[in-house]
Amino acid sequence: MTETSFAQFLPALPEIYLVGAICALLMFDVFFGLKKPTRTASVALLLLLGGAVATLISADFGHRQVLFSGMYIADDLATLLKLASFLFVAIALFYSGEFLGRRKLQQGEYYVLVFTALLGVLVLTSAGSLLMVYIGVELLSLSLYALVAFDRENGVAAEAAMKYFVLGAIASGIMLYGMSLLYGLSGTLSLAGLATAFSGPNSLGLILGLAFLVVAVAFKFGAVPFHMWVPDVYQGAPTSVSLLVASVPKIASFAVAYRLLAEGLGEVSGTWTQMLSVLAVLSLLFGNLIAIAQTNLRRMLAYSAISNVGFILLGFVTGTGDGYEAALYFTLVYVMVVLGTFGAILLASREGFEADEIADYKGLSSRDPSLAFMVAVLMFSTAGIPPFVGFWAKLRIIESLVNVGHLWLSIIAVVMSVIGAFYYLRIVWVMYFDPPGDLPRGQPRLALRFVLGLNAAAALGLGLFPDVLLNVCQTVLHRG
Amino acid sequence: MLVQILFYAFATVLMGSALGVILSRNPVHSALYLVLAFFTSAALWLLIEAEFLAIVLVLVYVGAVMVLFLFVVMMLDINVEEVRKGFTRHAWLGWLTVLALVAEIVGVVAVKQLGIDVTKAAVPVAADHSNTAELGKVLYTTYVYPFELAAVVLLVAIVAAIVLTMRKRQGLKLQDVGAQVATRREDRVRLVKMQAERRE
Amino acid sequence: MITLQHMMVISGLLFALSVAGIFINRRNVILLLMCIELLLLSANFNFVAFSRWLGNIDGQVFVFFILTVAAAESAIGLAILVVLFRKRRSIDVEDLATLKG
Repeated sequence: MTETSFAQFLPALPEIYLVGAICALLMFDVFFGLKKPTRTASVALLLLLGGAVATLISADFGHRQVLFSGMYIADDLATLLKLASFLFVAIALFYSGEFLGRRKLQQGEYYVLVFTALLGVLVLTSAGSLLMVYIGVELLSLSLYALVAFDRENGVAAEAAMKYFVLGAIASGIMLYGMSLLYGLSGTLSLAGLATAFSGPNSLGLILGLAFLVVAVAFKFGAVPFHMWVPDVYQGAPTSVSLLVASVPKIASFAVAYRLLAEGLGEVSGTWTQMLSVLAVLSLLFGNLIAIAQTNLRRMLAYSAISNVGFILLGFVTGTGDGYEAALYFTLVYVMVVLGTFGAILLASREGFEADEIADYKGLSSRDPSLAFMVAVLMFSTAGIPPFVGFWAKLRIIESLVNVGHLWLSIIAVVMSVIGAFYYLRIVWVMYFDPPGDLPRGQPRLALRFVLGLNAAAALGLGLFPDVLLNVCQTVLHRG
Repeated sequence: MLVQILFYAFATVLMGSALGVILSRNPVHSALYLVLAFFTSAALWLLIEAEFLAIVLVLVYVGAVMVLFLFVVMMLDINVEEVRKGFTRHAWLGWLTVLALVAEIVGVVAVKQLGIDVTKAAVPVAADHSNTAELGKVLYTTYVYPFELAAVVLLVAIVAAIVLTMRKRQGLKLQDVGAQVATRREDRVRLVKMQAERRE
Repeated sequence: MITLQHMMVISGLLFALSVAGIFINRRNVILLLMCIELLLLSANFNFVAFSRWLGNIDGQVFVFFILTVAAAESAIGLAILVVLFRKRRSIDVEDLATLKG
């Protein structure tokens, strides 16, 4: 028996810190937050920044450590994703502060559930076992179900939560069945064990187990045909929750796909890349085509998310480190831009006026020029127009596809992103060339405006210097 | 032989009750069939010597989860007549799925393409073997990390269930225990000094 | 003699029945939740059986965690159902059509 010391658990500091923060936040809310809810909000933001610091302190760059009998993997990828998750959740909470106060949702429990969802994301980024994948997924999804239904007076939100819950629970069940088959075939739960267990021709049981796992991953990503929950949740949930669902869980989905499929089942990648390519093409096709017909901005963003997930999956379809790197780059860029887009919705909304419909943005350029400019930058980036960062993200995915000879898939991806550009640019058109009518003017809210400005500037800046983030992704995946 | 008879008996009851869950029109009946399904599953797990989980299944599922289900079914006051109207128009799709899945499973299991040998009996365990002890040994050592996280999952359930369903209705008369405990004698008892009265 | 095949057939049939139940009972949310419990039970069967036949305790530990998490899951699911019922007075899935497009 080796000596147990606390230093041994240091690599797991982000998770340990976050569990402590959850308990502290619950207590703080009971004693100090009930009278003044804004206090809990500020403390939550501080705790998140502390989490980013804790991640940096505990990081051991360039090394891969395995803890808790193989359940926990601490490597550069995990550090990067954890850092990004802490920061993105902090930004999301910052954007939604005013909205929560206005809708009387600013309760301590809201922040506790956001933190537990974040904990689920962290667990997934360093999952080293099928068990940890399951627990991480459940921690994340259970918190999100509750958050979607959080506004109890809103029947639409409850409806969205119910649909999300039922479909999510079915996906979890299917994932478990797939995991049980893999366990039976390999006799191990650890992903490292799975990586060495399968060689030779694929048995039918393995294909069945893989198919179930791919279905579950596709559901968590929201890929067609397992996308039914996405539009409803994006539209029905409170805007602050849609923002959360749209952003950080995508990082978790990337982590699941990478740890489970690329690392754990990399030996049999031939089987699951075929399944994923079908899902990716369907997502690109349906996501982009249905998005054109939408009049509700949040619903349009949902279909846009589906099509973007198609791109991320295409990165995995390559089955190479190059493709995973492109998928990681795409995921980080997409999450950053989508945060900004929902932030803009929150900035455009006010008491009695939720800017949810595309028509609500008519003539925004004359009502609120700076906001209109920021939205335009974000839309250009999502549409993949150079020199914005979204362009490089799509380019990397297509490059990696061409490198492994998937010519048809890359042609589909190009065509679909051209079609997709149409509905993003339509928003810009509506903002700049439609008359404002009697829609309300913009409000100052300088702090929110400033952070949103930084967000849009990042979309442009990272586009002008694409190598910065690309190099990080490369380092993390290849030399980590 | 006895084990085999028991196995087939329990398996038949299990399949029957699973059918009952999905086919009965009354949610209360479905819930009760589900209880039966869990009981027979526990019995089957006992037969293959997974004693601890068999007991936990009965205690947690039948004792807690199903009671919660029944509680909600009865609280919601669902119009059974309404639900009785029949299955959705997708019912044929359901049966098609069943056929496909059953065919698939038979294909996988019977054709033995699974990749493992499925036709042997399990290696019997020693008479003094304790399944519970074996689980306990790994639960707090190898599995301590997921164990702690499972605690957080339960915390999420508590927080979510309370925040979603507890509400203060207008006009509801409740005791405020905090206020009751916090009262001081000075607030409630007023000592009045007065002259003793004399009977005339 | 009970073989692994026996257990896998049970689990497979349970899986098929629960998926069928999900399709058949799309009208009634609470029945959907029960079908999901059956689905989890079928996965549990696989885990317990594999664990026993492989002589490897990991599968049973997994079931232990599934039972814990599933209890939490059904608590949250029923809480959402209660919220929904208070607003809608109905648990019919086909009434849940405010959101579409």
